[in-house]
Amino acid sequence: MLTYREYLFYSDKYIQLAEAESGDKLKFLIPSVLLSWIAIESFINNIMDDFGSVPEDLFELHERSLLLEKKVIFVDHGSDTGKFKLDQTEYRRLEEKILFLIAKFGNLNEPYKGETLWQKFRDLRDTRNNILHPRRNMELELTIEKAYKYLETSKNIIQFVSTNVWHKKISF
Amino acid sequence: MRILFEKSAKKSADIEKLVSGFFENVPTLESELNIPVIIFQDGVNNSYYIKCQILGSVASKIIDLNAKINSKDPESFRANRELMLKHTTYLKMKLDASKGREFNDIIVEYNHGYNTDRPLKIWGGQHRVYAISETVNLADHYHGFKVYFDLDQNQRTEVALISNTNMGVSDDTFDRMLEETTFGNTLRKWCQKIGFLDTKEDFPDVGSRSEKITVKIARSFIVNYYFGLNKGKVIKGEDLDKNIYEPYVTETGVSIDVKYAEIMNEVGNKILSDKGLIEASEKFLELHKTQYEKVKENPKKIPNRKAYRNKALIISVLCGWSYVAGLLQNHRARLLNHYKIPKTTSKIPDPLNAEEMSNFKHDSDPPTYRGLGTRQSPKDMQRLAQVFLAKSLTDSCALDKRFLQKAVSTVVGLTALKKGYA
Repeated sequence: MLTYREYLFYSDKYIQLAEAESGDKLKFLIPSVLLSWIAIESFINNIMDDFGSVPEDLFELHERSLLLEKKVIFVDHGSDTGKFKLDQTEYRRLEEKILFLIAKFGNLNEPYKGETLWQKFRDLRDTRNNILHPRRNMELELTIEKAYKYLETSKNIIQFVSTNVWHKKISF
Repeated sequence: MRILFEKSAKKSADIEKLVSGFFENVPTLESELNIPVIIFQDGVNNSYYIKCQILGSVASKIIDLNAKINSKDPESFRANRELMLKHTTYLKMKLDASKGREFNDIIVEYNHGYNTDRPLKIWGGQHRVYAISETVNLADHYHGFKVYFDLDQNQRTEVALISNTNMGVSDDTFDRMLEETTFGNTLRKWCQKIGFLDTKEDFPDVGSRSEKITVKIARSFIVNYYFGLNKGKVIKGEDLDKNIYEPYVTETGVSIDVKYAEIMNEVGNKILSDKGLIEASEKFLELHKTQYEKVKENPKKIPNRKAYRNKALIISVLCGWSYVAGLLQNHRARLLNHYKIPKTTSKIPDPLNAEEMSNFKHDSDPPTYRGLGTRQSPKDMQRLAQVFLAKSLTDSCALDKRFLQKAVSTVVGLTALKKGYA
């Protein structure tokens, strides 16, 4: 599997291809936006896996449910009757995972959801959703500047999570 | 001929007698011209020495290139590094000697305690002396010598160290000298007993050029075993996997590592009889030998590189492994799992999966990170300890990519968790 650095690299490459393209640029800008998003997904999912790898009792069951993307169920038969346990896959939104990581490890005194970075992240999310769930009445207005902005947002979100969870800056 | 003491040197009849005996036995320019000789005393270690000129043809017959730190112990090995007779610098030195170059500040000790035909034991300038000896038939000149007398072992070690400081002598050579001075030959005997060294074999003087265990590696193994052992005594079985372990690499060079010294002062010769340590060492040697052979015999599957063959001896691998061996001493079932050689498969030809380790990189690593088990950083040692600790949970497993990822994920997760709760 590719790393978040590689996804960011490819996203950048697609923007460069768009810049060099004299005709339709969308065919390069669309993959660039998706790759910027995938870079965050890859980074966050791997951090969730890191925490999912530590001994079970270091996290609460509902936290492990989020980390491992598994549903919590109540067992009403067999040897575990009356207990809660993790069962089948239940995918969680990327936004929720970031919120969890920051709340758990960030020690942030100020709310950050109203901050510019978070607004930019939502903007990237909305554009990504528009690409993946197209409808006739939607307009996809992608430009090279926007694609660069999304790429930068992706890096900034990754850096934001890294400094809050690992307490260190990473280099791209 | 007059023999005088320099004004800051403490007069000693014994030393004067030794110096006098030296001039009676060794022809010098000073005795030939009846020049007074001055005895100096080193301000740091109080050793006595004189300066004199000796003809190359004379010196070449009485110089001993195999000087020993412990002159009374027959088991003590030659202390100097190996001669590098093909080195460009040596070849230039030899050419100069053949043309009559006079060399100075050759450091020797006048000592009849062993190899009595050659009482000038060389401590600094062995290449110059060898060059002189090889060319004495072409040019026979006087050369400047600094001759020490009546050195004790500590003085001798220091003379050896200061004489070699400017010559690019490896830390491994310094380690070897200091080890013998401070703790005798216990560590070497331990290595010979386990099989890291052959009988009558010494530690290499440049570890990076050999494929043998060095003093630093041997010390690190012992320190980590006992560190792990002590840690294991205070951790309950169910908590073993909830910790980040921090193996330790011993310092190398002109001073003895403090932690190693503490352990050796406590256990000393017991390392030769400690059953737990011996079993661990033997199992580790088995892993090393298997890794070595598997890499050698599978050139189509894995490059036959020294770093891959000797993966077990890479400091982070060795420290992580030995720490876990100590840690699990009170957890026999897991210890036995730890001692089992990791499985090899059609895709993983060597037990330590050296190539996969080298390619490994976690998201938190900088782009320049060179892979697992390639350096001696604390992070790398923590990760390797976790790899072996995780391996001890099952009696049969291969160190494949997924396994390595999970082990490192655990360390990264535990580290972040620790910081988050702090």
